[in-house]
Amino acid sequence: MKYISKRLGFYLIAFIAAITLNFFLPRLMPGDPVQMYLAELYESGGRIDEATIRAVEELFGFNTNEPLIVSYFKYVKNIFTGNWGYSFANYPQTVLQAMSRGLKWTLFLMGSGLTISFAINTFLGILVAWKRGTKFDTIVTVGGQVMANIPAVIIAIFLSYSLAHTGIFPRGYAVTPLMVHANAFEYVKDVAYHAFLPVMSIVLMSLGGIMGMRANMINQLGEDYIVMGTAKGIPDRKIMLAYSARNALLPVVTTFAMQIGFILGGSLIIELVFNYPGLGKVMLGAINGRDYPLMQGILLMSTIIMLSANFVADLAVLFLDPRIRTEGKRG
Amino acid sequence: MIKRLLNIPVVRFLKESPKTTIGLSLIIIMLIVTFGAGMFTSHDPLHRYKDEYHSPPSEEHILGTTRLGRDVFAQTLYGGRTSITVGVFAGVIAVSISLVVGVTAGYFGGLVDNVITTIINVVMVIPQMVLLLIIAAMLGGSSPILIATIIGFTSWPFGARVIRAQTMSIRSREFIHSAETLGETKLRRLFVEIMPNMLSMISSAFVGTVIYAIMAQTFLEFIGFGDPLSVTWGTMLNHAQTTGALSSGIWWEVFGPSASIIILGAGLTLINFSIDELSNPKLRAQRFMSSYYKEKKKLMKLEAKNSLGSSHVEGGQK
Repeated sequence: MKYISKRLGFYLIAFIAAITLNFFLPRLMPGDPVQMYLAELYESGGRIDEATIRAVEELFGFNTNEPLIVSYFKYVKNIFTGNWGYSFANYPQTVLQAMSRGLKWTLFLMGSGLTISFAINTFLGILVAWKRGTKFDTIVTVGGQVMANIPAVIIAIFLSYSLAHTGIFPRGYAVTPLMVHANAFEYVKDVAYHAFLPVMSIVLMSLGGIMGMRANMINQLGEDYIVMGTAKGIPDRKIMLAYSARNALLPVVTTFAMQIGFILGGSLIIELVFNYPGLGKVMLGAINGRDYPLMQGILLMSTIIMLSANFVADLAVLFLDPRIRTEGKRG
Repeated sequence: MIKRLLNIPVVRFLKESPKTTIGLSLIIIMLIVTFGAGMFTSHDPLHRYKDEYHSPPSEEHILGTTRLGRDVFAQTLYGGRTSITVGVFAGVIAVSISLVVGVTAGYFGGLVDNVITTIINVVMVIPQMVLLLIIAAMLGGSSPILIATIIGFTSWPFGARVIRAQTMSIRSREFIHSAETLGETKLRRLFVEIMPNMLSMISSAFVGTVIYAIMAQTFLEFIGFGDPLSVTWGTMLNHAQTTGALSSGIWWEVFGPSASIIILGAGLTLINFSIDELSNPKLRAQRFMSSYYKEKKKLMKLEAKNSLGSSHVEGGQK
């Protein structure tokens, strides 16, 4: 399991890098959040004395009296022990509590969007590579790529205008507010109904994945073992799916990282357009309320989402590629 | 005369590759329309027409007016200038960074490569959109130049990775080895031997980054980080969202900017396709394949005709 431990080591480095970035970002910015917060407090008529400053510094994890390196290690320790500070836009709540509301819906959106788009992209990619050079190929490849390069905002606005505002689909929320669901099935139906348009936007904006699958597939189809298979008289369908597609899938799975980041950013904005109560909504609230701890928490949380998704992709590679599995044994 | 014109290599390439032709013309049209906006509309994008709030498209206002009575068509044209400039500016920054980082890693290899690759991978795992938002929020970001700079400095890793891979593959080719044996200096090898072979890669990375930058900029401005006084496509969408244009059925307010972004994006995408085709002969095979299919169809038709006319034609070609 050398492969897994190597990957886990990388994720640890990446996570620490994200924490470091998170720590230094507000300190590099002109005008630190403590000062800004105090100024706002002062303008709204609050009393500022030594104790208030201490309290606010405590809130932000800032401390002007201790060296930077000490605060840094304190910060790292706090992150790992689950003490991410308080969100001061929704004060008695901690950052983790404030995020947890939106997190499950974002994960749900991303998860279903990723699964569906992965299935569609892979299937279309295989098909298009098999029929390369035909009109169908040109239309699907170019169309998919153009679709992928339209900003998520516009796709979402278009869908929201054409389908949500005409009353076919709901205009917002993840479930119908104030509705008591008769049973679990009703609930699932309601959730699916509300998630349909956001998920569809995610699928549309990630259609560019067809290109990657197609290119790998075409490379595979030129290999000798495919010629051999054809010569042996293996049916086309089997060559297409069991032979070339399986190998073509590998590089696609390994380039998952970018895809996930893309979808994460996209789903945040899609949530805003569809008024979906996910992390994007929480983020907007944090930005409007100048809630820096919450913003930083969201950056860390989304890094964690990225890392976990990458880890799942690694496991998938392990499953798909026998070479990696035997790597440790050979040497 | 026309025949001779058609034989110029550039024209021949355009004729053979409709993707390039369409893509180029879309971009050129967008550039002319936005940078020569004064020729196409007589309205001032910031002028407020009294008593014409949210008026639907008409002869006077081709795309209607906004809630504040501003002409949407004029805003779309003038706003494009800023949007395109920001995209190109961010693209230049990002590609320069990824070029330096990628070539250094790919060319020197070894420890340098290991360190840089780890950095690239780490940066790629941090969600760029979220980072972009947070930096913009902390800076209270507004001016287009600032937005372009932020985008430029956060979107280089992907290009760097591609350029690194390309440098590595070129570095191990024979002509580089022979240049080495001939005693060429490192710098000369880098700039005279390797760079020209990377040109297509660099331009494709550039086009990709410009697309990404325009998307990211739209995203940032839509959320409300745009300068409220400057007109860009993103701020137009933001205004439409905040004034509730969509929920009240005012489609024309978003039509202009959305359509322009889509057209520009489609043009750039098509250009990227043709750059890939030019640099990678394997992909060009697609064109030959399509002519092969055409020929095959012709042959089949011919065969069908022949078999109808005389039944004893057998064998021959398949």
